[in-house]
Amino acid sequence: MATRSVEMTGVTTTRRSSVRIWRRAQEVSLGYLLLAPTLIILIVFEIFPIFYGLYISACDWRLTCVDFIGINNYLRAFDDSAVWQSLLVTATYSIIAVPVQLGLGLGLAYLLFQKVRGQQFFRVLFFTPYITSTVASAAVWSFLYNQDKGLINAILTRLGLPAFRWLGERTGVFQLLANNFNVDLPGWADGPSLAMVALVIYTTWVFVGYDIAIFLAGLGNIPTELYDAAKVDGASGWTLFRHITFPLLSPTTFFLLILTVIGTFKAFNHIWVMTQGGPVDATTTTSIYIFKQLFQFNRYGYSAALSFILFAVILALTIFQNRFAGRRVVYD
Amino acid sequence: MRTFKFVSLIALVILALVAVSCAAPTPEPTKPPAPTAVPATKAPAAEPTKAPAQPTTAPATAAPKPTEAPKPVTVTNPPTSPEMVDAIDLMGKKVTVTYWHQRPQAQQELLQSMLDEFNKTNPYGITAKAEIAGASYPDVYTKVSAAIQASQPPEMSVAYQNQAAFYRGSNAVVNIDPFLKSKKYGLSEADAKDYVQAFLDTDQNPQFKNERLGFPTQRSAEVMYVNMDWLKKLGYNEIPKDWKTWEEAACKAADPATKKYGWAFRHDASNFASQVFSRGGRILAADGQSYAFNSQAGVDTLAMIQRMFKNKCAVEIPVAERNGEQTRFGNGEVLFVFASSSGMSFYQDSVAKGAKFAWDISLLPQSGAKPAMNLYGASASIYKTTPEKELAAWLVIKFLGEKTQTAKWAAATGYLPVRQSAKQDVIDTLKKNPAWGPVADSYAKIFDWVQYSMIESPVAGYDPVRDNIDKKMMTLVLTDFTVDPKKLLDDAVKEANQILKENAPK
Repeated sequence: MATRSVEMTGVTTTRRSSVRIWRRAQEVSLGYLLLAPTLIILIVFEIFPIFYGLYISACDWRLTCVDFIGINNYLRAFDDSAVWQSLLVTATYSIIAVPVQLGLGLGLAYLLFQKVRGQQFFRVLFFTPYITSTVASAAVWSFLYNQDKGLINAILTRLGLPAFRWLGERTGVFQLLANNFNVDLPGWADGPSLAMVALVIYTTWVFVGYDIAIFLAGLGNIPTELYDAAKVDGASGWTLFRHITFPLLSPTTFFLLILTVIGTFKAFNHIWVMTQGGPVDATTTTSIYIFKQLFQFNRYGYSAALSFILFAVILALTIFQNRFAGRRVVYD
Repeated sequence: MRTFKFVSLIALVILALVAVSCAAPTPEPTKPPAPTAVPATKAPAAEPTKAPAQPTTAPATAAPKPTEAPKPVTVTNPPTSPEMVDAIDLMGKKVTVTYWHQRPQAQQELLQSMLDEFNKTNPYGITAKAEIAGASYPDVYTKVSAAIQASQPPEMSVAYQNQAAFYRGSNAVVNIDPFLKSKKYGLSEADAKDYVQAFLDTDQNPQFKNERLGFPTQRSAEVMYVNMDWLKKLGYNEIPKDWKTWEEAACKAADPATKKYGWAFRHDASNFASQVFSRGGRILAADGQSYAFNSQAGVDTLAMIQRMFKNKCAVEIPVAERNGEQTRFGNGEVLFVFASSSGMSFYQDSVAKGAKFAWDISLLPQSGAKPAMNLYGASASIYKTTPEKELAAWLVIKFLGEKTQTAKWAAATGYLPVRQSAKQDVIDTLKKNPAWGPVADSYAKIFDWVQYSMIESPVAGYDPVRDNIDKKMMTLVLTDFTVDPKKLLDDAVKEANQILKENAPK
């Protein structure tokens, strides 16, 4: 009897466990079934193109892989002085654009956060360039920058100032200033080309609205009690900003810093519309260089390799920022 | 037993004769696509040079033996001889041909209306449709390149000679000569003679042993637009014919304070090429093996441009100022512009809406041993699909090249017709068109200059060379008055030769 009871218990346990396994299998299958559309889309449109790009980068590709050359395209990039030059141009663009953009964005956000008249209007005004088509606005700015037909030079000449070539000027801005005093600066002190500065002005005009919107959200998250307490202790406006606003806004600033650096390293559309990388190579950023290698030089494999190199550079920069700037972020 | 053997032998002979007589007259041209199983990349590469030689010898050897049944022709993909093309049977196949181009909507409609006519009249049931594949030649090039990689090219598209050469490097585009020379589907001798020979010559590619990688459906040329009223005011009774007088007139016209200039510098390598030709130089060496624009003609061209900018005789039209040279010319702000003849109706419109002055076109000033004019214009290329589709595409091209069609197209677009017999029809139509009016006479002049045609470079990889010429070399001379033109040219040619080597057929 006892033996039978044990057997019964065994059978019941086995049944229960197989039911549990069946249910688990059903749950897992359902899970994968629900995930399937997303996974398929990811594999087809994200993962496969990455690996296919990797394959192309290892080929002498002339609409098909005519020769598998391994890492030769990557090695070629290291010997190509134009690649280094394009990285230098990209870094220059980033080094100028990021602080200007974030600094102006923070300043304007701080002003708009105060109780000023027409606050909503200014918020919309600053955000509008961000939602405007880049190609369209870049084309308009190109015309504003036109040497002898543009509005900017028209204003400058009315003011008795010289007209500039703007997007067509590859001379450094410091050298241009020094020209007024007939001083010839050494090459390293020329500064960024005027064409580059013109691009930075446009970039700032477009993206500052986005930065303002994010900074405003960050400012709204800072508890007002902290300001009240500090004011009770006699803190002035600058002290409040320095010791409360800026530290507590650091997660927002850090987020924008990472996005802006990545954005400047990937920048393409407006540069292509406004200068196509010129004059000569003054604004040929790495993205522009890759595009030219692909669509003008038919170097499919090489441009694919350059894309992976640019990706590696951006990844390294992001990790670097995470390690060093991330430490200074105050989350509480 | 003997009787049985004899009867068997007779039966076999009869059977063989029946089999041969059944097979010989119709060698099943539609089935032979089976040879497409031959590795696609090998077939065209291995045979292209031999194939064109066959058409002339094949009929001659076959003719003297009328009793002998002709050997069945195996059609390869693409067909490499006129006989192979003759052997293709399109009847009842209902082939569809898609033609990718970059023309604007109005011209797409005109093109489609012409193709509708073809669809109605062709006896093979071919359906041709035109599709806008982008707003410019580079757009079409990008799309075609992607389509080739996806193994889904259109049956035909517009392509510049150097772009066709690039596609040919991947065996994606076919040699049109076998179709052109086909007895059944090709051009008759009279038709072939009616085509402007200079136009036909441009599509024979030296990089691929003169294979014909495209066929002209239109052409244009780089000409000089001149503000005649202004020129007369400056004291010139005729358009300058040499570079020295031309530069002198341009500098006389220039007045930077009022934003008036002698010459509008348009960013385009063809601008440089046209000037080099007019000074007796070349862009690509005659054998197609190296670039040659660092000759004295190139140096003189760059030196003159540099001098003109230094003396503020010329104005640069920024890349972003689209058609700026045309607008400024129409407003009476520039005396001379070098641009495509296909833009004549737009110039006429621009002047009519602008400063309303008398203007004309002319050859660029010349200083070479003989006159030269930069001839350009994309052709129609046929992509490797199936022999039937390739043949159908050829028939579409042939139709578009007929006198009626080419005249209609030229009159509507301002391009040159590809047939000599169409010239008068086009001029007559343009004269009746108020948008053209007196300019039709100027248009007529281009036909007299066609004999001086030169082409820039039909080899693969010319696009980056053009980019270097314009974006680097030309930009440098007009901004840096100390740079040495000869050194710039030597560096540019060195880089161009590297690109040529890189793009050479493998």
